[in-house]
Parts: sequence; C-alpha cells; structure tokens
Amino acid sequence: MTFLAPWALAIGALGAVGMVLLHLVALQRPAAYVLPTTRFIPDQRTLVSRAATRPRDLLLLALRVLVLLAAAAAFARPVVTPSRGAVARVVLLDRSRAVADPADAARRAQALVRDGAPFALVTFDSSATVQPAPAWDTLSAATHSTATGSLSAALVAGRRAAVSLAQRADSVELVVVSPVMSGEIDGATAQLRALWPGVIHLERVAARTDTATSWQLERAIPLDDPLGPAMSPSRAQRGRAMTRLVRGAPSPADSAFARAGGTVVRWDTTSARSDAEGLALGDDVIVASVVRMALPVGVRTRARWADGTPAAIETPFGAGCMRQVGVGIPQAGDLPLRPGFQRIVRGFLQPCGVVAATQVADSATIRALVGTTTAKASADVLRAGSELSSPLARWLLALALLLALLELVARVKLPAEAT
Amino acid sequence: MSAGPYGALLDAVRGVRWPAARRVMGATLGAHPSQLRGNSSEFSEFRPYRQGDDPRRLDWRLLARSDRAYVRLTTDRATMRTSIIVDASASMAFPQPALDKWRHAREIAIGLAAVAHSEADPVGLAIASERPIVLAPRARRSVLLEMMRSLDATTPAGSASLAPLVSTVRAVRVVVVTDLLGDMDALLTASRLRIATRSEVIVVHVVATEELDPPGDAVLAVDPEAPAMRRVLDGAMRAGYVANYTRWLDETAASLRSAGVRYVRAPTSELSSHVVRRIAGESVRRGA
Repeated sequence: MTFLAPWALAIGALGAVGMVLLHLVALQRPAAYVLPTTRFIPDQRTLVSRAATRPRDLLLLALRVLVLLAAAAAFARPVVTPSRGAVARVVLLDRSRAVADPADAARRAQALVRDGAPFALVTFDSSATVQPAPAWDTLSAATHSTATGSLSAALVAGRRAAVSLAQRADSVELVVVSPVMSGEIDGATAQLRALWPGVIHLERVAARTDTATSWQLERAIPLDDPLGPAMSPSRAQRGRAMTRLVRGAPSPADSAFARAGGTVVRWDTTSARSDAEGLALGDDVIVASVVRMALPVGVRTRARWADGTPAAIETPFGAGCMRQVGVGIPQAGDLPLRPGFQRIVRGFLQPCGVVAATQVADSATIRALVGTTTAKASADVLRAGSELSSPLARWLLALALLLALLELVARVKLPAEAT
Repeated sequence: MSAGPYGALLDAVRGVRWPAARRVMGATLGAHPSQLRGNSSEFSEFRPYRQGDDPRRLDWRLLARSDRAYVRLTTDRATMRTSIIVDASASMAFPQPALDKWRHAREIAIGLAAVAHSEADPVGLAIASERPIVLAPRARRSVLLEMMRSLDATTPAGSASLAPLVSTVRAVRVVVVTDLLGDMDALLTASRLRIATRSEVIVVHVVATEELDPPGDAVLAVDPEAPAMRRVLDGAMRAGYVANYTRWLDETAASLRSAGVRYVRAPTSELSSHVVRRIAGESVRRGA
C-alpha cells in the first residue's frame, strides 16, 4: 500500500504527539472538594495548569490519537498497489449501422483479448458504453444498431477505461474494431486522438453495403421543380428499387405500382404561406421556411417536425409502400440548394427499406487516426493527473468519525476532571 | 443509661464543675449562687433590721447581748437553666466522609450538657437544621439520653439560622455550638438581646483542621451551602485563603466578645473533653 499524500500522515503524527503533550500538560478543572470556607478563597480563576509525567485520561487520549491518525491516513490517500502486467488493452468495438457483420466484429474483438492481458471493451455507435464483463456470445448474436457511429465518443470512453487499466499494466494498447466510415469522424475526433499518448491499432471490419445508391425515381423531376436540385446529381444507376413521386391523391395505377414492390411518395405542392420550422429525418436536421401540411395517421413515421409531430409517414402496401410527405416547399428561395435539405429530400424519396451509408474514411484520415508513433501508451502518462479513488480512504474517514463519536461519549461518561 | 459513643467523653468530664458567671435568679435549690438571700444554713452576714423584715429572721441572741436588732442573712443557691444550640447546617458536614466538625460539635454539646446536668441544672437542646428540633430544659435523668438520640439522628444538611433559636430558647445560659459560617449578623443581634436580659451566651466556634490547613493538591472548592460558589484552591491561592480565613476568625471573635458573648474556639484537633473543661474552667475563673 502506498500513500499519494504522505505529508498528511506527517501532519497526523505531529497532531498525535501534540495531543499526548496536551494530556501531559493540560489546563484543567481540578477535582471538586467540598469546603465550607470556600468564600475565603480569592475569586480569580477556575482552571489550573498541571504538568504530569504520565498522560491523564488514557482512554480519551487513545481515542483522540486514533481519530487523528485515522483522519490523517484517510487524507494521505492510501492506495493498494495492484500487481502489474506488461500491457493492457482497450478495445473499441463498433456496433453502428456501418458494420456489415456485427458478429464477425465481435469475434475479432474477442480474438484480440484472448492472450489473458487485462482489457476493457467499449462498444459504441452514437454513444459509447464500457462493458464491464463482456458477454461475447450476446455480442456476437446481437443485431447491429441503426445509429451512426461516433469515434469521438468511443475515444473518450476508451481513454477513461485506459486510465483505470493503467493501474494494472505498464502500457495500454488501444484497438479500434470498426470499418471507420467518414460519418463516424467528426470535428472533435482529431483533438481526442491527439490526447491518446500512443498508437491506435485499427482492426478494420467490412462496411455495410450502401443500398441507398441502388434505387431510382420512376420519372425524372424537372429542374424547375423545387425537388429537382436534390435529385439531379445522382440516380443514374438502375436498380431494383424504384420510387414514384405523385402530386395529389394516388391513382389505382399508383396503388398497383406500390403493391408490386415500388414506393409511391405523395408529396403535394402548396401555395400556403411558409413559416420557420424544424425538420428532422434520421440524423439530418434543418430549420427552414416551409409549410406544415396535415397528414393522416400512418403506420410508420418517416420524419418529424421539431415539436414531435410527424412530417412524413409511410404505410406498407403489398410488396412496397405508400409514403406521404407533409412538408410544403415554397416556390421561391434557396432552400432546394441547401445540402441539408437535399439530403432530407433524398431521404423522403428513398424506397422503403433501403439503407444509406456514408463513405469509408480516406487514407489520410486513417493515418491520422493511427498516429505517427508505434509505441503503446505509457501507463504512467495515463495515470498522471488522474484522481485515484480508493475505498480505503473512505473507510478510514468513517473510522475517524466513529472514533470521534466514541470520544464524545467517553468524555461525557468520564469524571468532571477530564478535559 | 447507655452513653454509646459518648461514654469516654462522659467519663472524662465527670466531676467537672460549671458554675454560673454571675449570681442567678431562681428559687429552685441548685449549685449556683443565687441573687436571693434567704434562710438557708450557709451564713453570709448581719444586717440591721429594717421595717418590713421578717421578725423570724432576727438574731435574738445578738439582740439580747447588744440590744440592737440585726437580721441574719444567708447565701441561697439556685439552678441555672442551660440550653445548648447545635448548628446542623451543611457546612458542619465536613470533612467528608468523617464529618469531624459535626462529631466534634455533638461531643461538645453532650459534654457541656452532662456537666450542667451533674449540677442539677435543667438542660435543653436545640438543633438548628432545616427542620429545627427543640428539647426544653429538663433536669430529669433521661434528658442526656434524649439529647444523644436527637443528635445522632440528625444529619447536617442545608442551611439553618441560629438567631431565632438563640432568641426563643428558655434558658439563662445559652451555648451555641457552630462554625459561624451562617448569618453572623443575625446571630450577633440575637446574642446582644439575650445578654441584655441577663442571660449568658457562649459561642463555641468549631473549626476543622482541614479548614485551617486545606489539602495541598489543587482542588475546586465548592461551598456546600452555596454550590454555585466554586473556586480553585491551589498553591497560588492558598496563602490568600489562609490570610482571609485567619483574619475572619479574629474579626469574628472580636465582634462577639465586644457584644458580651463568651467566644471559645474549638478546633477539631482538640479533644472535645478538653474543650468542655476549658469552657467550664474558664467559667470557674470568671466566677471566682
């Protein structure tokens, strides 16, 4: 066991010595003595100092010294030094929708920690969770998350886990099991990476196939249509999925199209006055001047307004689905040119069931993530500045409080000459 | 009669005489010179016959020889009612647990009562405590035993005033056995009034050795009759205490004597029989 603040022990020892001295030379009220002629004693004081060769009130002295020593030991921050291994490992396992095979990712993460070294497993999608006792079977069988991944959140949780692991190893290795998509990297990732004092090993797993690019509109949208700018750059590939955009009520032919597996999107135009509204579809959020249109009750909500009411709904219909969008787009303005709005438009027009994925991060980003050094993070560096919490200090403090309470009781019970 | 713990004391004071300091007024035949002159057998002097004298007291033989009429005078003796007032306030219960002051006061009271009783004087007792006990002066044989029982059954406690008892007891000789730590002024006033009525007042001042020479260790002295009064008595305070106490003893003795009270200091270190002999012997000298 070591003490992080040994000066507190020294102060406690000095206090204990002082307490013994106080019990040797103490200002005290002497023993009561019935004296009928008390009135003839000059009335000056009621306390006298008396030096002794043996401390008085040994029980009280013992309790007080113990209180001081226990409190000093608690404030000295005792820590029980664990036995250390050479290396510990922190595994950041990607559970986001970008992973093609979550079970394979879990198996590869498990293989990384089979050498018996201390490890910590952090699973992450948009948030990160430290798995204190990872159940590998459950992880392998679990379906993937529908959220996008966040390497920043994973790095924060990984560093926190690494600080704990640093007490048990000389160095800590950080391994990221992820396809490392560009959407998983945000503005804070580089700074958080810089805080990691070593190399980051990447265990790349397969990314999920982007099905969002394998569909097309049945009919091209004119360029003067507000939806035109959003759909003009792509939709060249031909795929199985197809979307039909209709203005007004769907016809029987539209129903037949949906029943056959297509997606019919009813998106009416309006000339009503627009107003500033917040609109969210998946991870895309915009605030724009649009028209809120009434919608019937649908089976699924595709998008929502800022107040939570549905902005787009869809209902399965045969092999396909029927979708209705309640977002009126003003004829004038630059809204169609804004990238955020274009992503939302593409989301509205995507066929039911397709998944959009971001691009795999480029090589420069990957190199920056891995880092230039080849050394693992030093445990000393990770431990520096970290507040170690030891339950021993809390127990010692509780002991000091208990002894102080006993001292109070003993002082009340003991005769009056005790100070 | 069983004297119990007072047996040795009674033996020690046997035969001690305690005459009155002055002639007493009384018709009952006793041991003290009476102010009255009657026809007892103890011849005193002749006095010329005056009109109104009892002719039976004429000395006929002298008349026959000298042809002058003289009356034969004799000295009468009378008893002297004596009351002993014992202070039983809390200050007498000292030092604890031996209570030497109280024991000393009881023995002095019983010793003086025994001496007075041996001269056929009626003896009474008054115990000044929170519930005063008064035994009227009696000459019967059991009076000493009653006094012993009353004193033995009393435990000094609380505070008590001596002055009312000094004023009200029916006696010519009043002995107050006390430590004088009560209401001194009231006692002095009552004694003056008593002396003005031709009574004899004797104050026996009981002083404990521990009061004169308190323990050497530092103590927190507590007044038993005023527990709120607490003062430290240590080496530094000791000299001041002794000086104050000694001065008070002298001043008290002087004030009592100036009021006509016989003041006798009775330290607990002195045998109570010695104190009794000292009181009685001083009376003999004063009477002589």
